[in-house]
Amino acid sequence: MFSEGQAPTRRKGDTSGIGLLMPITLLFALLILAALRSPSLISASGFGSATIVVAPLILATYALMATVIAGRGTVDLAIGPLIGFINVTLIQVTALGMPQNIFVVFGFCILVGVAYQIAMALIVIYVRVQPIIVALSGYLALTGINVVIQPRPGGMAPEFMANWGFGTTIFSPILLILVLATAGWLLFKRTAFYTHLRLMGSDERAAYTSGVPIVKVRIGAHVMSGIFAGLAAICFTALISSGDPSQGTNYTLSAVTALVLGGAALGGGRASVAGCLLGAVNIYLISYSLSTFNFGSMQSYVTQLSYGVVLVGSLLLTLALPHIQRRIRSFSPALFFVALSTVALSVGLHTVFDYQDLVPVMGDAMGAPELYGSLLIANPTGEQGGLLGNLLGIAFVGVTLPIMLRSLVSGSSRSNVQVAVYVFLAALIFLTIYALSSGFGGVSISLGAN
Amino acid sequence: MDDIVTQSRLSLVVRLVGLLVAGGLAIANIAIGINQGMQVQLAVLTGLATLAITAWVWRFLALQFVPKHHLTREEEPTLAEEARNVWRNHKYATIALGLLAAGFAILSVTVSGFFNIYTVISAAILLTILVMTLKYSHLMLQYRSSFIGLMVLAGLFSVGAMTVEGFASSGNVRSMLIFAAFLGLACTGQTLVALVGGLDLSIPFVIGSANVALSYILSLGVPSPLAFAIVIIAAGLVGLLNGALSFKLQGQALIMSLGVGFAVAGATQIATIWGAQHAGSLFGPVPEWLSNMAAMNGTTFGMNFPAVILIWIVLAALVILALKFTVYGRYLYAMGVNRTSAGRVNISERRYWYGVHVISGVFSGFTGALLLGWSGGGFIGIGDPYLFMTIAAVVVGGTSLLGGVGGYGFTVIGVLVLQVLTSFLVGIGLDFEWQQFVFGLLILPMVALYARSPHIRTQI
Repeated sequence: MFSEGQAPTRRKGDTSGIGLLMPITLLFALLILAALRSPSLISASGFGSATIVVAPLILATYALMATVIAGRGTVDLAIGPLIGFINVTLIQVTALGMPQNIFVVFGFCILVGVAYQIAMALIVIYVRVQPIIVALSGYLALTGINVVIQPRPGGMAPEFMANWGFGTTIFSPILLILVLATAGWLLFKRTAFYTHLRLMGSDERAAYTSGVPIVKVRIGAHVMSGIFAGLAAICFTALISSGDPSQGTNYTLSAVTALVLGGAALGGGRASVAGCLLGAVNIYLISYSLSTFNFGSMQSYVTQLSYGVVLVGSLLLTLALPHIQRRIRSFSPALFFVALSTVALSVGLHTVFDYQDLVPVMGDAMGAPELYGSLLIANPTGEQGGLLGNLLGIAFVGVTLPIMLRSLVSGSSRSNVQVAVYVFLAALIFLTIYALSSGFGGVSISLGAN
Repeated sequence: MDDIVTQSRLSLVVRLVGLLVAGGLAIANIAIGINQGMQVQLAVLTGLATLAITAWVWRFLALQFVPKHHLTREEEPTLAEEARNVWRNHKYATIALGLLAAGFAILSVTVSGFFNIYTVISAAILLTILVMTLKYSHLMLQYRSSFIGLMVLAGLFSVGAMTVEGFASSGNVRSMLIFAAFLGLACTGQTLVALVGGLDLSIPFVIGSANVALSYILSLGVPSPLAFAIVIIAAGLVGLLNGALSFKLQGQALIMSLGVGFAVAGATQIATIWGAQHAGSLFGPVPEWLSNMAAMNGTTFGMNFPAVILIWIVLAALVILALKFTVYGRYLYAMGVNRTSAGRVNISERRYWYGVHVISGVFSGFTGALLLGWSGGGFIGIGDPYLFMTIAAVVVGGTSLLGGVGGYGFTVIGVLVLQVLTSFLVGIGLDFEWQQFVFGLLILPMVALYARSPHIRTQI
């Protein structure tokens, strides 16, 4: 739909600009909702735990993306059981006395993931069965063998992972893995191999006749997928810090949903890392926002219903995109992203600094004051916090407005959404540092007052 | 004449060896039979049967393996040269055979009680079936998958009857048929959707929803036939919605139907347990006729099996005949093979796409409603196994997921194969997770026997 031919003004064909309209809008709508419903998300521990929880999903989505681009409808349904498989085997070999060295553990996980994916690639290439059938049998076989390897949840994760899953700070090793994986994919996009991969995914016959080594390219795509699957399994292990034979299976459906939300074409040839990232974060935010409402015994069904509706809605939106594109000629995802992030951040700051009087009341009312502990520490007095928040908001708008104006002036259609991600990440980091410092400041002030 | 001479010379040796092997097997058979306390006549009879079958199979196979074309050769090849040629031409088959034999030997040595007359016979049956399938399947162009499916079915059933006690008893066959009927009904829609090149993942969710919804409506006091009709119509509407939403997005129909399924299952649960304390399952009155229709101890016209088996057989016959002989059925294939040319002869793509999804919804709803009669209580997760089983049955049967090839008759074979396999795996004492594992590993080679796509260089 957004092939290079139709969008001559776009230099890089695969940042399918307008395709990101929906994920970005949804992201900020959900972020604002989540921030209003539960301000504890806007805190160091809130972001930290969100990162920990969402990391396996993001990496699983990346793993799917690598093979989906390769075409032939290679949606690897076995990604969830594969994560579970790596998880339980890691726990078992750790229990058997594998060295708990970080390199050994990473090497093991990635090796298992790559080995599975290479086997799948060889079957797809040489046995020439439809990939969805290979994925199906992989799903069944791995789901079964996971329970055989470890019948019930338990075991201990390698020691060095013990404190990875706490999620008390933003800068956890998990975030580092995420950033490295994303950066790795962005670097990978600059290679000729990636061009070959996309060509093969869009039209395998054309690729073959143009001399693309399709066998090598397909194996390469699966190797990428295996690496991401291994990383996802590491993050999953850190999250639950034990082994679980069935929990990983859930990632299949969420990752496929995230992939579709991010605007990837399951037919092949088109998927963007920004889309996948946004899709996965959206999936997390949906369940997070829903968990702030109290539906009692219906909780999981409400979540299921909204997953379904969002999935259907985002698919239907891809139908509307050509019409939108006709109206809006020069849509810049970066500009859109920055604009919405300004709004979302001001809402976030507002909730953090202006709701503070309400916070203790809410905490008492819900009988869970410890949930708001970080907020209580972070807010010395009402007036001062509000003032700080306003000042910060003004400063932030002051910084982002020139960027927006600059993008507007300099031909918005050229800008790349990756810039927006960097800007957003930078903004998050600034905000975090501020929140942390003011939090510690608050402690010192209150101590001083005492 | 040259080649006939060489052939007969080689095959004389081969035949002699074959006779020796067959004789040895027959003697071993008789000895073991008598040793195990079998009647002497019976042991001799089975020994003779073994002798005849082994000799025939050996001869048949040996003739297949001897090269036939030597007319271009000047000098007559020597025996050694001939043997070398045979080895060169059938290297992989021989190695595979050797590996199988080695595996069997290892199993016999390591697992105590593994080596008995039944396993030997089962292994021989499996081997025969394997060789026959490999040898003959390429002769069939149209019904290859059903041929392979039937061979596998026959092999599985005979091996099961041989190794598992009570496998071929009427009780077990009845329970296999009941489960096959449920699976087969659920697969009807999946087959039709696959014939036009889609995949319906909403089936398990519709089954679960229909199950829970019927239980809920019955508990409200609605007369049971009316409740049944409401559920089936609602399921048909879900199918229609599914078709309407995915029509413009046929490439993503898989995900679209998944989304619709999620939404339907979630909505049904929310509607039925609004305000209830415990979620997930409902217990209410199940009408007598419904449980008689689907439960294990049900009767049909006084006969000793539940009506669901009969319903499945009748519906299956109807669907097969309709696909083969009605205009609608032929148009469905036409659309599955090529949309553009089907459009040129005025076949409405929209109508057929909607139609197969409605049928899929109706059959899923029907299955879910019948499952209530089987289980006696509404449970949303009752459809979960059908998510992959329906796809597996369709592809194992031989319907292509790309559309236009296959039919419901193939799916029936696929359903039976999966069901007999499940029953066999249960019978030999495998846990559910091992069953899943074996299933996953077996689907691939079964499909690989006939559903291989051509190499890319032949598609240009």
